[in-house]
Amino acid sequence: MKVDKTIENGKAVFRLEGRLDSTTSPELEKEIMDVIGDLNELVLDLKDLEYTSSAGMRVLLSAQRIMNSQGSMKVINVRSEIMDIFEITGFNQILTIE
Amino acid sequence: MSETNKQVPAVIRLSGRIDSNNAPEVEKDAMGLLTGSGASEVIIDAGDLEYISSAGLRVILRIRQMVKDVRITGVRPEVYEVLDMTGFTEMMSVEKAYRMVSVEGCEEIGRGANGTVYRIDQDNVVKVYNNPDALAEIQHEREVARLALILGLPTAISYDVVRVGAGYGSVFELLNATSFSKILANEPEKMDWVVREYVKLLKLIHGTLVPEGKLPDIKETVENWVDFLKDHLPEASWNKLKSLVDAVPHDDHMIHGDYHTKNVVLQGDEVLIIDMDTLAVGHPIFEFASIYNSFQGYSEYDHSIIRDFQGFDYETATEFWYKVLAEYLGTQSKTKMHELEDKSRIVGYARMIRRSIRRHGLETEKGRAEIELWRSRLIELLERVDTLLFDPNELEIEALSSNLPEVQAFVEEKLEAAGFPMKEQMQIGVAVEEIFINVASYAYAPETGKAKLRVEISDSPTEVTVTFSDSGVPYDPLAKEDPDVTLSADEREIGGLGIFMTKKLMDDMSYEYKDGKNILTLKKKA
Repeated sequence: MKVDKTIENGKAVFRLEGRLDSTTSPELEKEIMDVIGDLNELVLDLKDLEYTSSAGMRVLLSAQRIMNSQGSMKVINVRSEIMDIFEITGFNQILTIE
Repeated sequence: MSETNKQVPAVIRLSGRIDSNNAPEVEKDAMGLLTGSGASEVIIDAGDLEYISSAGLRVILRIRQMVKDVRITGVRPEVYEVLDMTGFTEMMSVEKAYRMVSVEGCEEIGRGANGTVYRIDQDNVVKVYNNPDALAEIQHEREVARLALILGLPTAISYDVVRVGAGYGSVFELLNATSFSKILANEPEKMDWVVREYVKLLKLIHGTLVPEGKLPDIKETVENWVDFLKDHLPEASWNKLKSLVDAVPHDDHMIHGDYHTKNVVLQGDEVLIIDMDTLAVGHPIFEFASIYNSFQGYSEYDHSIIRDFQGFDYETATEFWYKVLAEYLGTQSKTKMHELEDKSRIVGYARMIRRSIRRHGLETEKGRAEIELWRSRLIELLERVDTLLFDPNELEIEALSSNLPEVQAFVEEKLEAAGFPMKEQMQIGVAVEEIFINVASYAYAPETGKAKLRVEISDSPTEVTVTFSDSGVPYDPLAKEDPDVTLSADEREIGGLGIFMTKKLMDDMSYEYKDGKNILTLKKKA
């Protein structure tokens, strides 16, 4: 799992690469939680995300909840395998996916 | 021609040419010699016989009508061909004249348990047997090599038996062949290729069913090793060793028995096995014990030993051994590789300790140190290994979330090899993660324990079955109610998603609690 982020004027873009599983999700969660307090916009670019388990979904859900109360969050460039998982779990209704 | 009479057996010496011109005369002489001699056996010495026509063959038949037991010895190749074509070789014992071959100054290209192989010219090699009276051994080796060839294994069959000094050798055609040991020693960059070819051939051997009774059963040999060790191991260790070996089931598949890299050669594009005298039937664990010894065991105390034998160093041998395990098991999982290694070591140590003691190892300081090293390692292994059986498709591992990458890689390697598409691989990966993490988090908490998973892939349609089992507290994940996936982000529970995703992603999922184990089965088509 590789995370590449840019933060500017309360807007953060996280580019995720690789696998979001039980081992790597805590790292992403920490990276997001470290900065989320100052954000009003959070973008997660999943172009290179190959895999997510429920551990990764939980991180997305927590971030969405926080951003719901202080701004907006969107998920972009979702691959079809990941999209299937969002649909199965109803996350396509919860997340703003572009 | 001349004839001499000894009491029993009678010897008739034939020389020159025998055809219709002189056959009646030869017959008359022979009959004269045999009539009233009381001989129960006739040896026809054909050392000087250059040619025999059908008239001459009839003389031999007449002799056989008088005396049942006829042997023809020292037969030259041209004459042998006639006797063979006319079926005489089936009717009576016909022994060829042996060509003399010298191996002085010839390159040694291989060394096996019972002989040494030399290259005698560009196209031919001779295997010289250690035992000076090796005709029976040679006969055995030719028979097993022929059997192996018939069963579809690539091997060279000897076409001639020769005399080498006071002993015997068998000659093979082997053009420009290079042993795998030589490749490993001189072209280390080809290691991965050598591993693949070596394992491909090993799997072919292990996949070969041998008709009953055609080859010895290696398990009987191993039982002898175990019996020998009774006085050399603590009682509890010996009992364990015996029960482990006893529990290995009979197996009619072939094993080579001395499968190291000097016995595998590359001839042109073809990979051949050349040393067949140890062929047997039995469980592959016994093969791995011998492979372990070749690349690790014999050099475990003194690492320099391997170089003298194989021409490469201990580090190369170690790398090769682990790569062979990974290739054979179809996984890079260290846990899996060490499992097979430990089982191989148990049988391997048993063999080496016995061998060394029988060769007076206890009488030298180095021998004692070596035996003690093997012995202490054997005792340690016997305390923690509970079966010698192994299954490449099964992984038993400590149920810790830190082992997740190894578990996932293990499943992925099997799916990849079976050609599962990326998307299904990922979905199965998610399911495997959810279940494994569940077991790691709850099955044994607050203690830890083992989880076992089995990956079985069937053809047409390609379908994988992953079975998890653990001995933790009984827990049926399917009994849990599904989360409501229509709720908003703020209303949804953080947990409970994993099992739900697994159910949705798999084609089938079932649970049972049996013999103190949670058993969860997942199925998914490619």
